[in-house]
Amino acid sequence: MEQEFDLEAEANHVTLFRRDLRALLLANQLDEKAANEVILAVNEVLTNCIRHAYRGKGGKIKVIFQDLPDQVRILVRDYGPKFDPTQKPDPELPPQKPGGLGIYLVRQLMDEVQYNAKWTGGNELQLLKYKCHEAGDKRLKHGG
Amino acid sequence: MKISLRRKNEVHIFDLDGEVDFHTSPELRAQLLKAIEQQSSRILINLKKVSYIDSSGLATFVEALQKSKRANSRIVLAQLESAVRSVFEIARLDGVFSLADSEDEALDMLSRSDTR
Repeated sequence: MEQEFDLEAEANHVTLFRRDLRALLLANQLDEKAANEVILAVNEVLTNCIRHAYRGKGGKIKVIFQDLPDQVRILVRDYGPKFDPTQKPDPELPPQKPGGLGIYLVRQLMDEVQYNAKWTGGNELQLLKYKCHEAGDKRLKHGG
Repeated sequence: MKISLRRKNEVHIFDLDGEVDFHTSPELRAQLLKAIEQQSSRILINLKKVSYIDSSGLATFVEALQKSKRANSRIVLAQLESAVRSVFEIARLDGVFSLADSEDEALDMLSRSDTR
């Protein structure tokens, strides 16, 4: 199953989208804890689009939700200047100043985070979450 | 998010209800910094009805904590839901903030001099 969402890069749209995403995740075999983690991670990516890709001036964001047998995959696309957030180093913890935690949270909360450098339309980030811990553990054991 | 302010003796208590995120945290930031600037020496933030927090919310609390230290005031966060507490833990902020399980415990912490 695949579902697409076209969002405006505005904070209140992100708030509303979280409701839709929660319903999708819970309907697709993620437990409450995993759903909360995915929602926060996607929220952080969308917030980054608003703040950094569009610098608060508005724009379009596309979210593609894919339900696969053992995982959910979420693609977030913006059409701003190229920026690979996965290259950002982890912040000092605990943080000594406000801010800078967004992409760190995304990395901690998802099983995989990949930036698609080949996509020429702007920025495409792929977030992946396994539906059960066993699948995630297996992936880590095999280093994949 | 709804922000309510009440006072118990010398403690300013913020009751938050809703989600602390990129959309709502600017208003919370403004109210917290105003309280600190007005020299509220003891601030309790009750998060019992907060179901969600993101990095913008964390940044708001970090800024408020830093400013409170400079103003010689103290902040305690009370009654964090598990989903909210886990976000503080991932950012290792659970060891930076004073966290209380109940409002009474938070008031007790604020009455003692060794509160962070």
